[in-house]
Amino acid sequence: MTRVAAPDEALVHAAIEQVWGSMLFSAAEPWPAGVAPEFETGLQAQIELRGDWNGRLVLTCDSGVAAQIAIAMLGVDPDEALPEDDVHDAVGEVLNIVGGSVKGALGGVLALGLPGVSETSASPASDECLVVAWRGAPVFVQVVPDAA
Amino acid sequence: MKILIVDDSRVMRQIVLRTLRQAGFGNHAFVEASDGAEALDKVMTERPDLVLSDWNMPHKTGIELLGDLRGTGNQVPFGFVTSEGSPEMRQTAEAAGAMFLIAKPFTPESFESALAGVLG
Repeated sequence: MTRVAAPDEALVHAAIEQVWGSMLFSAAEPWPAGVAPEFETGLQAQIELRGDWNGRLVLTCDSGVAAQIAIAMLGVDPDEALPEDDVHDAVGEVLNIVGGSVKGALGGVLALGLPGVSETSASPASDECLVVAWRGAPVFVQVVPDAA
Repeated sequence: MKILIVDDSRVMRQIVLRTLRQAGFGNHAFVEASDGAEALDKVMTERPDLVLSDWNMPHKTGIELLGDLRGTGNQVPFGFVTSEGSPEMRQTAEAAGAMFLIAKPFTPESFESALAGVLG
């Protein structure tokens, strides 16, 4: 049973800004209006919230962006090739921290799941996503309520 | 002193370690565990002076780990480093015997203020 409102775009964006600033050392710029964000293949992270609101947060980004996020988080040489596991781990952890902030801001009784990360070639529906720019490339974050 | 870092994310364990060094605690020894069950074993074998643990992990959560430790009389100083920092979780952590809860995303200053009384 849903007893709190779904996380809105402003709340999710605030959580992303916080993570970008302190873990990725970069500002979370909104994707420029009028420019269609492109996506071919990449990683998709998901994390569930259960309790007074039920649904999941989904973060999708290009594989190269995912690798750059991992490099920024770990503070390693930008040219270093990280193991795939570390890239998946980093993207999942970004969403985990965003999820934790969103959970705290929503209030109510909620349980945060563990992040799962997989490869995807399905392009996110950008009109249903909050799109932020990572060094000129889009990162898509979607709030997906459970089907009624 | 020896610090046990517990997190199911290897990347996050590396970030915690780097942040501890940035906060001036790089002169300590560090060991790692990837979940609460492994951490319970490491507390027994490595005898750390401080445990820094994530909360939400597979196999055994951080709060279950803390409960198991205190349930067997182990009083190792214990703090959470977790993505959730609600007042309810802080109360639960304190009631279970945790000294502090550092919420992710964190800064070196978060670790400085939380750990100064423990590590000096």
